[in-house]
Amino acid sequence: MPHDSDLNVGEMLRRHGVGRRAFIKFCTATVSALALPPWMGPAMADQLREARRPSVIYLSFQECTGCFESFTRSFAPTIENLIFNVVSLDYDDTLMAASGDAAESALAQAMQQNFGKYVLIVDGSIPTGAGGACCTAGGRSAVDSLREAAKGAAVIICVGTCSAFGGIPFANPNPTEAWPVSAIIGDKPLINVSGCPPVPEVITGTLLQYVTTGRLPDLDEQRRPKAFFGNTIHDRCYRRPFYDEGKFAKSFDDEGARNGWCLYELGCKGPTTYNACATLKWNGGTSFPIESGHGCISCSEPGFWDKGSLYAPLATAEWGKAGDNSPVRTLELGAAAAAAGGVIGVGSAGLGRWRQHRREHPIGNPPEDE
Amino acid sequence: MSRLRDIPIHVEPSAQIEPPARAGGLGGGVTAILSEAAGLLEKLADGGKPALIDLRSLPMSPRDRAALQGALGEGEVRVTLNADGISTLYETAIAGLWWVEHRNGQGDLIAELLEITRFPLILDSAPDEIATSAAALRALVHAGSTAHMAGEEHATRQ
Repeated sequence: MPHDSDLNVGEMLRRHGVGRRAFIKFCTATVSALALPPWMGPAMADQLREARRPSVIYLSFQECTGCFESFTRSFAPTIENLIFNVVSLDYDDTLMAASGDAAESALAQAMQQNFGKYVLIVDGSIPTGAGGACCTAGGRSAVDSLREAAKGAAVIICVGTCSAFGGIPFANPNPTEAWPVSAIIGDKPLINVSGCPPVPEVITGTLLQYVTTGRLPDLDEQRRPKAFFGNTIHDRCYRRPFYDEGKFAKSFDDEGARNGWCLYELGCKGPTTYNACATLKWNGGTSFPIESGHGCISCSEPGFWDKGSLYAPLATAEWGKAGDNSPVRTLELGAAAAAAGGVIGVGSAGLGRWRQHRREHPIGNPPEDE
Repeated sequence: MSRLRDIPIHVEPSAQIEPPARAGGLGGGVTAILSEAAGLLEKLADGGKPALIDLRSLPMSPRDRAALQGALGEGEVRVTLNADGISTLYETAIAGLWWVEHRNGQGDLIAELLEITRFPLILDSAPDEIATSAAALRALVHAGSTAHMAGEEHATRQ
């Protein structure tokens, strides 16, 4: 019996008795979820049948497991479909039956067997304070584990705002001196799938798109796939006609709120937030926060936690335009140093400057001249 | 003791939020889809390629969706496909314009498209599957004739 990673997707499908029509349907649904041109469904079916199933290693660091919970709730493609047909998930400490030394040796084996070829998914920020002691597994710090796993990765997919931009751990006052992955690893292709958590289909869709094409998707300046982060929530919001007509809810229980008017004046950050919530929605397309009566809190944008009240209208909050205060840009120095091997020192230095900036500017963007 | 109707409860408007309709009764999104479909149908009529419109990539309220379905009507053909969940395909009253709805094994809607084509792509039998099935059928015929001959031989002996 060949190792799973040696089989292409078509062989796996034949092994599971999946017919061509079912597979075209799977690809059609996936392309729809990816917001790719719909004629790509049949093309994806052809390409995927020939594609090799890549080994996927999923590492969790300073995080709440909300992103992984989201990942497992993807409707199209489902995680079962991905794991059984499209990828070989070789390590995930939440899903795998093994634990302790057995789990750690599975990780080492997966990295060794697929060196240079595996997809590394990272969930959570990387704490560097106290010598990395704030997050350890198997006696090793998150920063050491990440750097070792990154060596043999073909691509790194950062799932969630914590691994993409630092997220809640990175928020002021950042007691663990947490950083996003891009601050630690600077020499690998990297995709950020932000969100707190990301939309399930955005996680699985990004992975599938990479597996199908074998290359990075088109990325925006925050390294997010444009297929999902190309439009603002506001661009695609079904309440947009009310915004255009100047009809706004003034409180969460007034007539405007009951009539489903625009939530802009209640602090909705939809106009400056790039994400797919308004089109893909959540829970299999059931709804999304604005449809449930609450404004967007901009959880897929860098530094959203530190930008002042979630309920202050954009016009009065110091929110700026989307992507203004990317830690990615601020941390380029840290990333370059990571390649040279001195990440913690330089990272801490960067953090020191950021803290000083914070004292002077309690709300606002990090310094740009790093 | 107060009666139920004395309790000051008032019914809120439906949770189903509908944005204001545009001129002509159809939402702006519906008109745009119909216009795009008309353009693609014209190309198909001129010998162009089949095309697809992904209905889930567009912000449509349930009312917009119902209006679109109402405007397109239903034609003569309706197909149910059972492959990893039920899919329903029907030709609308507009010849060459098919409404395609895919559901997964749990019955959740996973894709909804308009397919502008003479015949929906997913219904076509695949050449490699035809080759395999032709061989399987030939084997079946062979097995059948062998069994038949064996039966005749058995009868002759009796």
